[in-house]
Amino acid sequence: MLNNNRIRLMTKLALYESKEGKEDIHLSKYYKTDYVRYEIIKSIICSTLGYVLILTLVFIYKSEYLIGNAVTLNYKAIGTDVLGIYIMIIAVYGLGTAVLSSVKYDKSRKKLGKYYKLLKRLNKLYNDETPEV
Amino acid sequence: MMPLLVFRERVRGFYQKKDIYLIPAAKFIFAFIAFLQINREIGYDSRFLSIPIVLAISLISAFTPSSIMVLFALALATLHVYYISPFLSIIVIIMLLIIYLLFARFTPRLGYVLLAVPILYMMGIPYMIPILLGLIFTPIAIIPTACGVFIYYIFQVIKAAINSQSNTSVEDILKLYTGVIDSLLGNKPMIMSIVIFALILLVVYYVRRMRFDYAFEISIAAGALTSILGFLFSDLIFDQTNQILSMILGTIFSAAIVFVIHFFELTLDYSGAERVQFEDDVYYYYVKAIPKVNVTPPQVKVKHINVKSSGHGLYRSEIRKQDIEQDDDYDEDEDINSDNTED
Repeated sequence: MLNNNRIRLMTKLALYESKEGKEDIHLSKYYKTDYVRYEIIKSIICSTLGYVLILTLVFIYKSEYLIGNAVTLNYKAIGTDVLGIYIMIIAVYGLGTAVLSSVKYDKSRKKLGKYYKLLKRLNKLYNDETPEV
Repeated sequence: MMPLLVFRERVRGFYQKKDIYLIPAAKFIFAFIAFLQINREIGYDSRFLSIPIVLAISLISAFTPSSIMVLFALALATLHVYYISPFLSIIVIIMLLIIYLLFARFTPRLGYVLLAVPILYMMGIPYMIPILLGLIFTPIAIIPTACGVFIYYIFQVIKAAINSQSNTSVEDILKLYTGVIDSLLGNKPMIMSIVIFALILLVVYYVRRMRFDYAFEISIAAGALTSILGFLFSDLIFDQTNQILSMILGTIFSAAIVFVIHFFELTLDYSGAERVQFEDDVYYYYVKAIPKVNVTPPQVKVKHINVKSSGHGLYRSEIRKQDIEQDDDYDEDEDINSDNTED
């Protein structure tokens, strides 16, 4: 027989699963440290690529000057500048991602806790309905 | 006010019933307008100007996630640039990649803002975006808004460069490139717009969170005021006094649109019907969950003079009571998304 209470509960759970729950459940496959590390690596790779592209644009922009003065350029100073800015960008993005992703993970854990509570309640409804013989 | 509220309920009821058709239709219209605007603005390649092609890509974007639409639009714009100057199109692609890798990646759900800002710029109402995002989102929406402004100005600068381009020797290309970068980095109106948009967004966000009546409506007005004052300031500084009238009209129009959107509460996620499927051991369930409507449209009442009809009223009040009793077993902490913590 149809059980209205159970259908309500299942609908709620299914709605959660099909929307934001999708990401929460996906996150629950990771440990927190693993997830945060993974996000940091992704963000560092992306910011590195972005930085390389910016450097390309700058290089083309200055190419006339660079080629003209190729012999007299102070490569050491340029290298330190490029590296210094790169380390700064990496640090900012890495730290930012670490904070953001750990907050995100905690939030999703909280919601997932409620989800599991409802699942338990659903399970109880089932057991009440079909008592073991 | 009452007829308006009833009208709102009717509109929402219609939306809730037909949202499965209405959302693709709205996306189709938005995509169509967006592609037409791009074609009008930088339509160099005549192959993409034909209406059947525009219709076809709008139709595809109507049924795919909004990021696909953004991708199509950017690809279309880049292809138009490619037709005139492959070199400039490479620069455009590199800049878009930088925007994505360094900024837009962090707000994947707001990808459509990147497209909406330039399109609304062309239509003269870009002020709508910061007001709307301040109303429904957090200040992190400043990132995609700023990226959207940047994208708009990239294509403006590219357009100006294409118009001035004459021949294509290597030296000219280099000169063209440095010109583009110079006019992009030294573009003070662009930086000013980004700052003002961020300001509008913050003002709307903080006013709407204050605890007084009509905070939402007042926040829209405050956002519009910030926009008018800010752009008045920037227009006067950069000597663009001919834009002031269109800016003020555009702001008022944008605020009106945002107000309409807010009034119908179309911004809320749960305003539409939900469809879910699940199963247990015995059944398959196909559930369509429709949110309850608050103000019921008035029924047409026929007053009978010769018959006493007190029975109807009794019957209805009984039903109400049942409804309320049924609602009682709704449990607050069943709501996964509610923020209350029990522990």
